[in-house]
Amino acid sequence: MNKSDFLVELEDILQREDSCNESDNLNDYEEWDSLSKMSIMAYYDKSFGVKLSLNDLKTVTTVSDLIKLAGNKIQ
Amino acid sequence: MIEFKKEQVFIVTGASSGIGEAVAILLNELGATVIAIARNENRLNKMKSKCKNPENMHIEIKDLTENINELPNYIKSLKEKYGKFSGMAYCAGVACIYPIRMVDMNILANIFNVNYYAPIMMIKGILDKRNRLSAEEGGGSIVCISSIDAKLSSKGQSIYAGSKAALSASVKSISKEVASSGFRLNCVLPSIIETPMSLSPESPITENINPEEYPIGWGKPQDVANMIIYLLSDKAKFISGQNYIIDTGGVL
Ligand SMILES: NC(=O)c1ccc[n+]([C@@H]2O[C@H](COP(=O)([O-])OP(=O)(O)OC[C@H]3O[C@@H](n4cnc5c(N)ncnc54)[C@H](OP(=O)(O)O)[C@@H]3O)[C@@H](O)[C@H]2O)c1
Repeated sequence: MNKSDFLVELEDILQREDSCNESDNLNDYEEWDSLSKMSIMAYYDKSFGVKLSLNDLKTVTTVSDLIKLAGNKIQ
Repeated sequence: MIEFKKEQVFIVTGASSGIGEAVAILLNELGATVIAIARNENRLNKMKSKCKNPENMHIEIKDLTENINELPNYIKSLKEKYGKFSGMAYCAGVACIYPIRMVDMNILANIFNVNYYAPIMMIKGILDKRNRLSAEEGGGSIVCISSIDAKLSSKGQSIYAGSKAALSASVKSISKEVASSGFRLNCVLPSIIETPMSLSPESPITENINPEEYPIGWGKPQDVANMIIYLLSDKAKFISGQNYIIDTGGVL
């Protein structure tokens, strides 16, 4: 998946009215709550076969960090 | 003391791991013949190597979701191989954390296939009078593993909880259909048990747990197996159509 497609997916997963950018700090999003984190875990598992833990997500600050957690699955 | 005879043949699904493995080993140790079903042959063989009576432990490799409609015929073929059944412990299952916004029909099907449709069709197969012992021959017992989530579940668990609640409800109804023919059906509803399912590092199940709700610690597979064995045995002959929570009092 390319990054711009992922950013659109992310907007949908987080159910945001605004678009997402790589440099955004996730902690600035009011949508970045525990349900959104669970949703990201489900999405990574389903789409990339990548199993994340809540601890992995605690280490994430920016959207770009989140992309890195997908290994090379998001280019 | 609970004992079984080797003429008592039980199916145990999910026998390659966790609770199902503990049930298969204990049931075999207590004398019954066990047909151990799962997909992973290596892990089934490993389980068998721990058995007290390996000659009464038979391994069957099977993906229970492959052709669910055919499961009653699968049971028939097992009967032709091993004899009429005294019952089953349905311990196969999958867990998932899917907030509602992530749910689609694929996820619903994945979860319901293993946790609900397959056990229902396996039960159908076993309860066919041609495949099971009659009341005069000793009857039998079926136990399915549901989950505490069927009663009380947390966020992200809606589909898993739904599959387990559905199973609990159906088993209760089926128990009434066959009560007079010497077969009993019950469910057990464990809270958190230390198995590969709950211990995997990515398991959000365990990260959400408040240790104060578990004053005696988490359950072990054997704790659930003991209850299942009791319900499979004649000692539980007055118990059918029930849903037993297995927990230390923290959750409900
Ligand atoms: N652990 C807990 O905290 C807990 C709490 C409440 C309820 N439960 C329930 O207890 C049951 C046993 O769970 P566990 O903790 O022992 O989990 P586990 O260690 O992950 O074992 C699950 C078993 O199900 C089998 N299985 C899964 N999909 C299958 C399929 N398509 N066809 C055939 N077999 C399949 C697996 O075998 P293969 O992979 O070899 O096929 C494995 O033996 C489940 O129903 C679970 O929902 C567990």
